[in-house]
Amino acid sequence: MRKKLVSTLLSVTLVAAMLVGCGSKAETTAETAAPATETAEAADTTEAAAETETAAPAATGDMKFEIVSKGFQHQYWQAVLKGAQNKADELGVTINFVGPNSESDIADQVQMLNNAINAKPAAIGLAALDTSACLDAIQTAKDSSIPIIGFDSGVPDAPEGAVLANCATDNYAAGELAAENTYAAIKDTIAKASAPVRIGVLGQDATAESIINRGLGFIDKMGELIKADGKTVTVEGNDKYVNDSKCEKTSGADVVIEVLVPAQVTSELSSIDCQTLLNKADTIAVYGSNQHSGEAMVTANENLNKFGTGEGKVVGVAFDSGAVIKAAVKDGTFLGAITQAPVAMGEALVQSLYDAASGNSVADVDTGCQWYTADTMDSEEIAQNLYD
Amino acid sequence: MSNNKSKESAFTNNPIVRAIGTQKIVVIIVLLVLFGFFCIMSPAFRNYSTILSIFDYSYYITFMAIGVTFALITGGVDLSIGTGMICYGLIGGYLITQKGMPVVVGIIVTILVAMLIGTLNGVLVAILNLPPFIATLGTMMLVRGLGSIITGGISITWPPAGSEQGWFRSIFKISIGEGKFPIGFIWVILIVVIMSLILNKSKIGRYIIAIGSNKEATRLSGVNVIKYHMIAYIISGFFTGLAAVAYAATFQAVAPGTGAGLELDAIGGAIIGGTSMTGGSGSIVGTLLGVFIMSMLKTGLPFIGLQANWQQIITGLILIGAVFMDVMKKKKKA
Repeated sequence: MRKKLVSTLLSVTLVAAMLVGCGSKAETTAETAAPATETAEAADTTEAAAETETAAPAATGDMKFEIVSKGFQHQYWQAVLKGAQNKADELGVTINFVGPNSESDIADQVQMLNNAINAKPAAIGLAALDTSACLDAIQTAKDSSIPIIGFDSGVPDAPEGAVLANCATDNYAAGELAAENTYAAIKDTIAKASAPVRIGVLGQDATAESIINRGLGFIDKMGELIKADGKTVTVEGNDKYVNDSKCEKTSGADVVIEVLVPAQVTSELSSIDCQTLLNKADTIAVYGSNQHSGEAMVTANENLNKFGTGEGKVVGVAFDSGAVIKAAVKDGTFLGAITQAPVAMGEALVQSLYDAASGNSVADVDTGCQWYTADTMDSEEIAQNLYD
Repeated sequence: MSNNKSKESAFTNNPIVRAIGTQKIVVIIVLLVLFGFFCIMSPAFRNYSTILSIFDYSYYITFMAIGVTFALITGGVDLSIGTGMICYGLIGGYLITQKGMPVVVGIIVTILVAMLIGTLNGVLVAILNLPPFIATLGTMMLVRGLGSIITGGISITWPPAGSEQGWFRSIFKISIGEGKFPIGFIWVILIVVIMSLILNKSKIGRYIIAIGSNKEATRLSGVNVIKYHMIAYIISGFFTGLAAVAYAATFQAVAPGTGAGLELDAIGGAIIGGTSMTGGSGSIVGTLLGVFIMSMLKTGLPFIGLQANWQQIITGLILIGAVFMDVMKKKKKA
């Protein structure tokens, strides 16, 4: 009997611990831990009345949106949340902003998306960690007539008409912008080089649309610029990037672009990747395509001290901000970095959700990106998008 | 049987081999072979900075592994150390960066919270008699969520090296002129010596080993097994706290939600070093060597052009080999 009691207690503790562990929430609402078995149909019958209300909402204040982000690991998402909350307050709507514990937790995010659909909101905002893992849930949302607006990362293979619009940085263009600025700094080195040189690209993963496009935009633009100056270029490393880039794969090229992606998103593995690049004598530049990769570059550089400008130094270019990357740009370790406009993204997202739920037409919004260096990072235009 | 014995005797009866232990000798040889192999295969590996990196990336795993060795010796395990380390690092860093507390307070709180969770594990395992695997699986999830909740889910950046509060980063690595010295290694050696003495020469250590060998017999001989069983988990917690400080000093940024899986690196290191999964035996020096094999592989394999996935495969094979050795040793004794 006592054993039974203890094991019951244990199960309860475990379940409670799991609920606690299953994701951080910024907005406290009565989100229910919907059991995985609960189907959309079941929800349909029980909440039929609620649905008819939300399906055709009048311009009232009780409109509710579910926003599934990539989590809060990076302060970037806090800035998106801030923008979303500002807009929600302005429009008088309620948002429930959730995200998985880490950006590796693809399955957790799919579960959150399912929960969001079961909550029958007026519309859903989604920043997909994996472009294919969410497809089933997106189809369910479409069947339940819940409009989805993508943000940060799009879902390119989503069923027609399910994702109405995306509010995101044009990540491919952001990657191109990084390539242009990097190339300006290494152009002479490449022109003078007598042996092949190497440009490193650090990607956190090869699954998220935003990360992939920032990588591909960089690789393709870099290849284009190098070829325009009469040199040859090839791509090697992670298969996904190698196969999807427009650069030809040749041997004996003047410039090698090497893409490294860790087996698991940990600070250690990413900084070891960066060290591997910095330890190669022919490496002239390294580009890290998000905050995680940028921070790993700083850790890797601590022992090697290779980043900087001038003779024998490697040009470092990062993405996003945060205290570590800002400090590295400020002191000249990095040449510069690309920042997105997270606050504007959050605002645009809630506006689009509102428009979609009210039956108005919505279109893709490019929330923009900027190149910043030690000289420009304090200007008002840029500083508003940088965070610690 | 006697045949078998005479074959082994030349090696195992050697007094030096006996003093150090067969498995440790093998681990040292593997470590040296690996180091030599990487040096030959990659000129870039033969840099001082590589050694620095191996040390940098080994401190936090070493601390976790030393702590978890005590839990393993009791015949249990502590799965909460990986996500726990991140959780305690978040809490300490939060107090420093968001609440403006001095770094030293942040470090002390980090270690105290770690010991508190260690105590909780001890209560669950030693007093409530829950299976250690399940109990610490529960606390592993608990601390994963706790770190996110306390910091509001955001990642925490501990003070950078150059800043006024950045002194803690030189606990493990100091700059001498242009160069850097991995001073943390001296602390690690010191701690290994102290913990080895505690494990082998003190009452605490001997009772912890006795609990792992035969808990019932230990209890019947009048030892307060609950107390010493709990101490093993509190030690595990304390070292996880130290690991959190080492992690923050190395990587600076601590991201909530991460850390799951790192406990297995530490447990793997302890097992490779000869700590028995079934309890009753283990050594701190062995654990240190085991962790260094893991760190050497992690840092070295990318140098010879192997992608990170291969590193996991090779580490897995080495772990299986180590456990196999342990099983063979027991068989021989029997």
